[in-house]
Amino acid sequence: MAKITVDGVEHEAKEGRTILQALDDLGLLMNGVDVPHYCWHPKLSIDGSCRLCQVEIEGVPKLQIACNTPIKDGMEIRTRTDAVREAREGVMELLLVNHPLDCPICDQAGECKLQDYAFEYGVQHSRTREPRRAAKKKVDLGPTIVFDQERCILCRRCVRFCREVPQTGEIGVFGRGDRSKIETFPGLELDNPYSMNVADICPVGALTTKDFRFKIRVWFLEDVPGVCTGCAKGCNVWLGTANNKVYRYVPRRNDAVNETWICDDGRMSYREIGSPDRLDRALVRGELGVLEVTSVEQAIARSAERLRALADAKGPGVIGAIASGHGTNEDLAAFVALLDGLGVENRGLATLEGAADDLLVQSEKAANGEGARRLGFGDATAVLDRLKGGGLEAMIVMGHDLVDARQLGGIEAFERLDTLIVLDTHHSALERVAHVVLPARHAAEKAGHFTNHDGLVQSLRPAVEPRGAAVAEAEAFDRIAAALGLGAGQGAA
Amino acid sequence: MLTVPYTTSYLTEHFGDDAFGTLEGYRAHGGYEAARKALTEMAPAEVIDLVKESGLQGRGGAGFGTGMKWSFMPTDGDQPKYLVCNADESEPGSYKDRILLERGGHQLLEGILIAAWATGSETTFVYVRGEYAFPAEQLSRCVAEAYAAGLLGENVLGTGFRHDVVVHRGAGAYICGEETGLLESLEGKKGQPRKKPPFPAQFGAFGMPTTVNNVETFSHVPHILRNGADWFRGFGTEKSPGTTIFGVSGHVVRPGLYELPLGTPLDEIVFEHAQGVPDGHKVKGVIPGGMSMPILPAGQLDVPMANEHLRERKTMLGTGGIMVMDERTCMVRAACVVSYFFRDESCGQCTQCREGTGWLNQIVERIERGAGAEGDLELLLDVCGKMEAKTICAFADAAAWPVQGLLRHFREDFEEHLRQGKCPFPESFEL
Repeated sequence: MAKITVDGVEHEAKEGRTILQALDDLGLLMNGVDVPHYCWHPKLSIDGSCRLCQVEIEGVPKLQIACNTPIKDGMEIRTRTDAVREAREGVMELLLVNHPLDCPICDQAGECKLQDYAFEYGVQHSRTREPRRAAKKKVDLGPTIVFDQERCILCRRCVRFCREVPQTGEIGVFGRGDRSKIETFPGLELDNPYSMNVADICPVGALTTKDFRFKIRVWFLEDVPGVCTGCAKGCNVWLGTANNKVYRYVPRRNDAVNETWICDDGRMSYREIGSPDRLDRALVRGELGVLEVTSVEQAIARSAERLRALADAKGPGVIGAIASGHGTNEDLAAFVALLDGLGVENRGLATLEGAADDLLVQSEKAANGEGARRLGFGDATAVLDRLKGGGLEAMIVMGHDLVDARQLGGIEAFERLDTLIVLDTHHSALERVAHVVLPARHAAEKAGHFTNHDGLVQSLRPAVEPRGAAVAEAEAFDRIAAALGLGAGQGAA
Repeated sequence: MLTVPYTTSYLTEHFGDDAFGTLEGYRAHGGYEAARKALTEMAPAEVIDLVKESGLQGRGGAGFGTGMKWSFMPTDGDQPKYLVCNADESEPGSYKDRILLERGGHQLLEGILIAAWATGSETTFVYVRGEYAFPAEQLSRCVAEAYAAGLLGENVLGTGFRHDVVVHRGAGAYICGEETGLLESLEGKKGQPRKKPPFPAQFGAFGMPTTVNNVETFSHVPHILRNGADWFRGFGTEKSPGTTIFGVSGHVVRPGLYELPLGTPLDEIVFEHAQGVPDGHKVKGVIPGGMSMPILPAGQLDVPMANEHLRERKTMLGTGGIMVMDERTCMVRAACVVSYFFRDESCGQCTQCREGTGWLNQIVERIERGAGAEGDLELLLDVCGKMEAKTICAFADAAAWPVQGLLRHFREDFEEHLRQGKCPFPESFEL
């Protein structure tokens, strides 16, 4: 460890780190110690080109860039001197010489580091009389990203990201001097599974995602911390919410999980929250054999009624249960309590499997499969074999992942069930054979916890109101148990 | 074709003899004996000490102590170490390395061999400016001769020391003459200077410890080995020993190369050696060391051409490219030329340089057009100040200094443009 003094306050920092890295490690960067920076990013290689992070170091005649200057024991660093402020003003003025200043039509406005630092360190009036560099305003870099060459400040974060993180390297800086511009290499598009992260790390409005641009002004968004539900990684995200709607996910830094990144599939999974195929009402199959809309209360009562009748007549052995990796630990614990109360032992977990990579993406396409396994839900094969063999007459199913080809390959096996109770966030083929359908809340609509593939437990809090009549599965299971007369603790007995 | 400098000393003494460019001819003048002495009689550290003692300063522009630079190379570890010979001579006004390559290839190679021994380097990459086709050919011929004679390769001079020389031609960017921009380009990347740390002596070409020296710097070394540090210190000033090759251009009767001791007064070079300004015109200003060095006005030419003296007049020796301008010259046009060059050649990494070079150029061009405004001169100086000493390499400084110099000594020219709303120098060179 090395002792460094920053603006008169002594800190202990790890040897071998640069000043910015040390401040970041200490959690002080832009959080007590303001060293504005553009090109430096905690998870990318050091570039040292924007020159904004210059600081004063005792005994060193010239200002030094904090991003690339290694700390030394006893180093005295000053970030608030006149010389530092002057250097920042100088960089800001020069960065703005050719910037189009089109904030009113720029989607980054409101979360733009150029705006923030210009406000903090900029001059009030432009001293340029020369025309600003004209460049392309809408370059299609690939399927996800649009690029505005005029706004680009050439910090090259995006170039380093593509080289270093997905290691696809589709983009580079072409040209020299003030003709430099970011472009894709000939014959390539910016198209990789992590492409949209470049919009997050772009400090200005040069790179924007086709998905989010022009949807809403960011100052209308409330950012709620949450967890992506796309796979078992549990990447931390900010849910950008307004009008009771989630407009986007952007990655939220968590060095133990996703650092500062998220995959494009995960990022786009926010659309499931507001999707038109959300289940928003309870359904019960009526006398005519079709599903009819009813209240959640009625659906719960019907569920309890049918389960009681079967359990009394044939015992809990004819009842099966499939948990989902989309439920929270609280939902799954309530499910366990209900099943224990009924004496149901045919339990399993159904999750979708898909492609994985070395970076973030896990093959299990649900956020809480690990949580379900830790609560005793194992492989669903035995339960599903029993179902196919005709050994089950009732099932309680969370979600619809088991309809996937690898799990069951269809709904035929459910057709001869006496009772199928489904709790789900979205419509699915299961409704064609279900007797009771309960609308469930998405992770963005409830509190609870997910356990990721590494066993890390992460909490959720509601970001938007539940869709329609959707209830948390935990609540639904508790109410079914109550209707069955299964008191708390009874299941464990 | 350029052959022999008008004045010669030890570096260029035999350049009139075509045979000097061949191995046989070079050996006839004692060639490679200094290398033999170093490799057979001296320990590497002794060679470094001798070069330190001689006071040889780098001739590429920065004037850093050569022996000191060599001593930064690690002596432990078994990683390969490299030398790079910077032959990317691109500073406008400079053309001394060209003749050293064309006519002194073996002298350069001998200097390289001695430096390789001193630093334990296994390969030297000679990075030759792309436009220097003929110099590169001449050097390549010398390299081939040296390999054939056992002066390069696996067993140099039968000593068991191994050294290879690779001649690499650049593609014509000024910034590739900056030592780390050169390394990037050598590695096949875009020529953009590297941030420091790490420095080349730790992480240089292909990530290995590397020392980069200018062509002329290497060329002095055999002479120091042959004649000793005291002999070398007999030339030049106490702080700047040795000779250098001044390249004089512009409004002089006899433009060309002059090998002279460092410390030779600038007025002596301009008026005696280059025989002054032709056609009865007068000197207005002289750029002493290549275009990136601040100009000196006619009244300040009584300065010895050595950094310790030039610094007092807020300029530097640079590469020794002396550019003379007569009284008809419009210094705003000069600023246009200089600032356009630096705008065009900026690599574009650092904010201040990328945006500042373009801004400076636009302001001076506007003044030249007669569209200058009140406060423009203060703005120019302010932008220069924002560029100076704040970037990865010295390019931004090199772009700011000449503009500062022109404003320092020829502010009247700029003010006259502002007053008249047009260029008051009808006889000046055309843009």
